[in-house]
Amino acid sequence: MADRDPLPLVPAEADDPALVARLTALYAATPLPPEGQAEQCARAVLARAMHQPVRAADGVPRIRWWWGAAAAAILVLGVRITTTRDRTGVPAPATATPELAGTVTPTRAGLRFEIQLPDAAQQVALVGDFNGWSASATPMVRRGPQGGWAAEIPLTPGRHEYAFVVDGRRWVIDPLAPQVPDAGFGPSNAVVVEGGSE
Amino acid sequence: MTDAELIARTRAGDSDAFGALVTRYYPACWRFAVHMLGDRTDAEDALQEAFLRAYLAIGRYDERDQFRGWLFRILTNQCRNALTSRGRRVRRFINDEDAIGQAPAPLSELFGDVDHAALSHALSQLDASQREAVLLKYAEGLEYTEMTAMTGAGESALKMRVKRGIDRLRSLLEPPRG
Repeated sequence: MADRDPLPLVPAEADDPALVARLTALYAATPLPPEGQAEQCARAVLARAMHQPVRAADGVPRIRWWWGAAAAAILVLGVRITTTRDRTGVPAPATATPELAGTVTPTRAGLRFEIQLPDAAQQVALVGDFNGWSASATPMVRRGPQGGWAAEIPLTPGRHEYAFVVDGRRWVIDPLAPQVPDAGFGPSNAVVVEGGSE
Repeated sequence: MTDAELIARTRAGDSDAFGALVTRYYPACWRFAVHMLGDRTDAEDALQEAFLRAYLAIGRYDERDQFRGWLFRILTNQCRNALTSRGRRVRRFINDEDAIGQAPAPLSELFGDVDHAALSHALSQLDASQREAVLLKYAEGLEYTEMTAMTGAGESALKMRVKRGIDRLRSLLEPPRG
C-alpha cells in the first residue's frame, strides 16, 4: 500500500511553506460554480428526496438506498436475503423518526461498537473482516429500551471493515461513519486501530 | 440566520431553509470536489449526492459538531465513491473515441495564471488518498484529529499521506534539469 510506513516513526509535517502558500492561493482562485448552480442543486435534492421511500404509518422501517447494495454483498457471501420496498407517502426531513447512528470508541479491552436502530430489532450482530463477516460470531448486546446495541471486541492494529446485521437478514451500515467505497460488494464502514501501519 | 436556525427550520420541513444552507456551503464544497475529482461535471454530481444525503440525515446531525465538518464528512465519502465509479467507467469506455472527444477540458485550463494551472495539474497527478489528505490539511486547514474523524484513516497514516503528497507535488513542479 502506498501509505505503508516501514518505520514506526510519525513523519514530520510537510515543511514547505512556499508550496503550502501556493496551494492556498490556488484553492482561493478556484473558479466559482456557474451562477444558479447551488439553487439548482437544492431544487434537485428536494425533488429527489420526495421520491425516497419512506417509513410507513404502521412502523415498517424506511427502506434505505444502500439496502440493495448490501443485499448484493450478502449474495456474494452465499446468503440470500430479500427486501421489500414501500414507496407510499412523502418523506419529511429525517427528524420525523429516530434514525440509525453508530459510534466506535476505544476501550481497555479493544473497541466498543455501538449502534442506534430506529426499529424494534430482536437481535443485532457485528460483522467484519475480523470475524469472517459471520452474523453469528459477534452478537451485540441490547442497551436499554431505546434501540441501542453494543459489542466490545479486541482488534489487531490496522484498518478493519465492518457492518451490522439486524435480525439475521438486514445488512446495515452507519451512513455517517467513514465508509469504504463500494467496490461492487456493497458498502461497509471502516475503522483504524492505532498501533500498526494502515 | 445561523446554521443552527437554518437546520432547525429544515428539520421542521422548511425547504427554503435547506436551500439557504446549500447556497451557503456550495462554493466551499465545490472547491474541494473540483480539486478532488478534477472534473466539474463529476463535482456537480458528487455535490448533489452529498447534499441529498445530508438532507435525509439531518435529523442525525449533532448540534455539538460544526455543520461544515459534518457536511464535509459526507462529501469526502461521495468523492471517494465517485472516484471508484469513474475507475469502472474509464475501464469500460477506454476505447470509446467519442467519449474521449466529449471529455471536458482539464481543470488546469480553467486557471489563467500559469502557476495555478501547473499546481492544479500536479495535484491531479497525486494518488487520490494523498490528494484528499493534502487538500483537507492545507486547503481546508483541518487538524489531523478532524481529518481522522472524517476519513477513518489513522493520524500517522494521514501525516504520511500529506508528507508524501507534498513531496510528490514538489518533484512534479521542479523545472526539468539539464
